[in-house]
Amino acid sequence: MLKQELARLARGLLADPIPGAPEAEFTITPDTGEDAAAILAFASGNGLRVRFWGAGNHQAMGNSVPADILMATTRLDSIVDWQVEDLTVVVEPGVAVADLEAGLQQQNQAAVLPEVPGTATVGGVVAAGLSGWRRLRYGPTRDRMLEVRLATGDGRLIRGGGRLVKNVTGYDLPRLATGSFGSLGLITEVCLKLWPLPPEHAMVHVEDAEQARKAAYRPLALIETNTGATLYLSGSREEIEAQAERVGGDLVPGHCWPQPLVGDTEAVLRVPPSDVGELVARLREADIDFQAAHGVGEIRIAAEVDQLVELRHAAERAGGALVIVRVPPEIDFDPWGKPPDGIELQRRVKQAFDPRGVANPGILPGGI
Amino acid sequence: MTLVDDLQALLGPDRVHSHPLELLVYAKDSGVTPGEAVAAVLPETTQEVAACVRTAARHGVPVVARGTGTGLAGGAVPDLPALLVVMTRVDPPWEIHRGSRCAWVGAGALNLDVSRGVEELGLHFAPDPSSEAACTVGGNVGTNAGGPHCLAEGTTVAHILGMEMVTASGEVVVLGGAAPDPVGLDLRGVVVGSEGTLGIVTRVLVKLTENAPAVRTLLLTFDSIRDAAATVSSVIGDGIVPAALEMMDQPTVIAVDAFTRGDLPVGAAAVLLAEVVGLDAAVDEEARTIERIGREQGATSVRVAADEAERTLLWKARKSAFGAVAQTAPDYFLNDAVVPRTALVDVVTEIYAIGDRFGVKMLNVFHAGDGNIHPLVVYDAREPGMTDQVRAAAEEMMRVAVAAGGSLTGEHGVGLLRRDLMDLVFTPIDLDAQARLRDAFDPDGILNPGKVLPRGARCNDFGMIPEPGGD
Repeated sequence: MLKQELARLARGLLADPIPGAPEAEFTITPDTGEDAAAILAFASGNGLRVRFWGAGNHQAMGNSVPADILMATTRLDSIVDWQVEDLTVVVEPGVAVADLEAGLQQQNQAAVLPEVPGTATVGGVVAAGLSGWRRLRYGPTRDRMLEVRLATGDGRLIRGGGRLVKNVTGYDLPRLATGSFGSLGLITEVCLKLWPLPPEHAMVHVEDAEQARKAAYRPLALIETNTGATLYLSGSREEIEAQAERVGGDLVPGHCWPQPLVGDTEAVLRVPPSDVGELVARLREADIDFQAAHGVGEIRIAAEVDQLVELRHAAERAGGALVIVRVPPEIDFDPWGKPPDGIELQRRVKQAFDPRGVANPGILPGGI
Repeated sequence: MTLVDDLQALLGPDRVHSHPLELLVYAKDSGVTPGEAVAAVLPETTQEVAACVRTAARHGVPVVARGTGTGLAGGAVPDLPALLVVMTRVDPPWEIHRGSRCAWVGAGALNLDVSRGVEELGLHFAPDPSSEAACTVGGNVGTNAGGPHCLAEGTTVAHILGMEMVTASGEVVVLGGAAPDPVGLDLRGVVVGSEGTLGIVTRVLVKLTENAPAVRTLLLTFDSIRDAAATVSSVIGDGIVPAALEMMDQPTVIAVDAFTRGDLPVGAAAVLLAEVVGLDAAVDEEARTIERIGREQGATSVRVAADEAERTLLWKARKSAFGAVAQTAPDYFLNDAVVPRTALVDVVTEIYAIGDRFGVKMLNVFHAGDGNIHPLVVYDAREPGMTDQVRAAAEEMMRVAVAAGGSLTGEHGVGLLRRDLMDLVFTPIDLDAQARLRDAFDPDGILNPGKVLPRGARCNDFGMIPEPGGD
């Protein structure tokens, strides 16, 4: 009976199961935010659990989520509005990051999302709260989230923020939605602040990352891997040359970003920036593949599962976290570690948007 | 025991004020809306703040946190008779983390003191409201304060990594921290700008920004606001995001010049103050580009500050605007609308027309680079009917801004001033969602009730589903 009702409600939006996606009785691809809200209202009213899906890049993050409905953003894939002169773009969540950035680049603009996104979607990156390497210069993705439309867990289609580069009207729902992992509902549209792309791009390989960080003035990124450290620069030719002179090194034209780590097990260490140097030394000693963002405090690692426990302790002692990006499916490893302070507030905020707990239930720390 | 008795038992008699004259002072800010306080307390520690919140809750009295009262929107002015928790003394020793470029400071720390305190490390706290010498970091967090240099750096929220906060139930929680992207929901982000309705922030982990090796500051004059605004659009269209891009109209320049004796171009219809920061190699080139674009758009003069003294003078002039305006008339009403940068000229033209239509005197000063306009209506509240006239004009101006795709406030906050206009920007369902969020933090509505959201924003009938357990 319930299934028939849902099938009727989702008529025209039902899709075949998505390869790689977890099993769910229904796979639904809403065409509009209103569709998503209507289905969530039904799900909430009937206690059906909904799992959200973009392109599947970050699905291994967070606690595992059992689902009756898989809601994919495949058809929410339009660039809705691009105000070139205002440096803002409005996109639906299913737009691929790579496609968005390629389009923006034609007008020398960038959303400054992750540089090597693979097939990742804007919705996936925002929901997972991920930023690119260039956050050292441009700040995290959440600081560019100007407006959000959200189909809440209980099926209301709401908007927060505005399509304005500066705005403090009302509570900051765009930031709250960033990194919420679908726990509040489905992000159906976002407005992002853009940056103009400088004319020239170059890199300098440096011997001593810490020293380079002190010498360079607000570089794009300073990334250390097992093979060495690289400073990423952009600007005018004169500016880039001046930076290279400050840090002492030869300019290599263009940007070559670290490729995604390979292996069954990937995690990210998030620590205060001053702890990066010490952790890097430790990772080198243990012969673990790593990519460390100096000045930011993010270190991506590909390690054995048994090495993660110690590293998590180290990160948590420093006031940070070790977050699992993926582990082999047969391994049961806590994806988040120590839950944040104020867990009861977290629970209540989730309930404010999803009182029945049907939107990606339990995915956050503390099973929220 | 009365509330005041209980508070005195907690803090001693010297830090609890209940004399009507004292309360008159504490129950207002620098804006136009008066409020009413039951008592004002001056706690010094987080634990004292928490105890005050619990005590007030026990007496059923709402709690309003307040800094130095530099706000202009009534965010710290009680809507209902309340206990005022004055946060200026909550400033335990700072913890400066040089390597991670951040520092824990008290909510009562003054904005400019933070930048001065870390100057020798070559760092500063980026938000720089004009009231920076007097306003507290806690107040900056409450309003998500801005300032001229937020064009490139973003408002306060981009510079707050974490906070210690007393919740509505009087508990202490720490949200965020020095490590990037703390796990769980970003409650830190939503507390910034919440005007003390979600909790009372007692300590703040501020991000510190590197001081720029070189700065160039330019003053461009124009025969029309239109030319100045076109320059703003062209500069940003050219791929430059200056550190600041500020505009003042002629009445403002005249008022400021009289106030600061800054040798300002009082004959120009509009003045643009532009600043670029970075390496020498970059700033010279960017300054040249801004000058070229300005001249192409009809700039009648371009002056580059020759040294730090001249730069300081130009900024003093800009940041004195509100003070200078206060000398031209006893009262002023500040608008804080934001519009898409491309709509700036049309909206400002319309705003001048509204000023004429309502017969009010107005000065315009704005953060042109990010479309944040500040039409300041100056008046004398003693003139019968004048206050109503000014409010009507201001509301009309906000309607025009919203119709052009804008919003009510860019940096000063909703407070009491704009609360009842929130439905211009948000639907009832949007406001209901915000009210639910607020309820999640403060189910009994004891923290700064009546702020941010209009009364009756919580519409239970929008819940299409019965409450859990209700079916």
